Amino acid sequence: MMDNKTFIIAGIIVALLIGVVAVFMASGDPDGLESTALVVQGQKELTGGTPENAEIQEDMTDKFSYTSPMPDYALNEEMGPMGGLIAIIVGTVLAFLVVLGIAYGIKVSNKPAK
Amino acid sequence: MHIPDAFMPIWQGAIYWIIALVFIALALKWAKNELNEEKLPLVAVLAAGIFALQSFNLPVSMGTSGHLVGGALAAILLGSPFAAVFILTLVLIVQAVVFGDGGIVVMGANIINMGVIGGFVGFFTFKGLMRVTKSMPLSAFCAAWLACLIPALACALEMFFAGTFPLREGLIAMGIYHAIIGVIEGFVTVAAIYLITSVRPDLVDTGIKTPAEAQTP
Repeated sequence: MMDNKTFIIAGIIVALLIGVVAVFMASGDPDGLESTALVVQGQKELTGGTPENAEIQEDMTDKFSYTSPMPDYALNEEMGPMGGLIAIIVGTVLAFLVVLGIAYGIKVSNKPAK
Repeated sequence: MHIPDAFMPIWQGAIYWIIALVFIALALKWAKNELNEEKLPLVAVLAAGIFALQSFNLPVSMGTSGHLVGGALAAILLGSPFAAVFILTLVLIVQAVVFGDGGIVVMGANIINMGVIGGFVGFFTFKGLMRVTKSMPLSAFCAAWLACLIPALACALEMFFAGTFPLREGLIAMGIYHAIIGVIEGFVTVAAIYLITSVRPDLVDTGIKTPAEAQTP
């Protein structure tokens, strides 16, 4: 049976491998929600392909707007796939650390004080 | 199915946040009671894995792509729907804040769809089917499929209330796309459960009795 350390390392390696493959292999088509938005806006047929120039119309009045540091899992256009790789690696490690940190924090605060 | 901020008025986002916070509080309570040092690595590794899987958009034909959600996987492996709420909430925060995937004001709705609905549908479908069929792959596959489809339909309803999608068209398109994405979700969920139960059966709380466990009283 794997010990905890091996399990964590193996798990992170598998996660990173999935992420790296995703950068190169992921489909550029819109996801289910975006696709539905294009369908209801009449830019796409329900079962047809997505046209190259299809763009979701967004009405931003009374909506909140926020710009993230790495939008769409990339750094900037010039960096190409490298930016995507860095974004995925940062995200995967961050997800791991945030969950570990909070879970550990809960455990520590849960221990009765001596 | 990460709803962006542009798709929902702020006041509706606030309502979903309030509901989501109730479940987040319950998920934190779950973490406090159920997480031990042995389970910590599984929870953190699952978060990393779910983040990576969600970044992998697979083509599902019809000009659409889809990625896994992972709510059923987390809930089945850790034996509680609140495990899914706990992990998915934190993954969604990272995705929205750092990568702009899913909005901030609408994050409550995304947590409800993927974490709460995905986690509860996945967990109870798995439990129920396990009792009837005694087959892990079948139960986990159906649980993951429903845990992808039902949140998508809930999302279509929310989009209707937000005035973004018409009701019928939204339900049909979201339903069709995620019924296909759910099949992939099903296969990957079964594979991941196999993989993790074979390397660390002690960490997993699926409720499946191994022959050795069944013999010991």
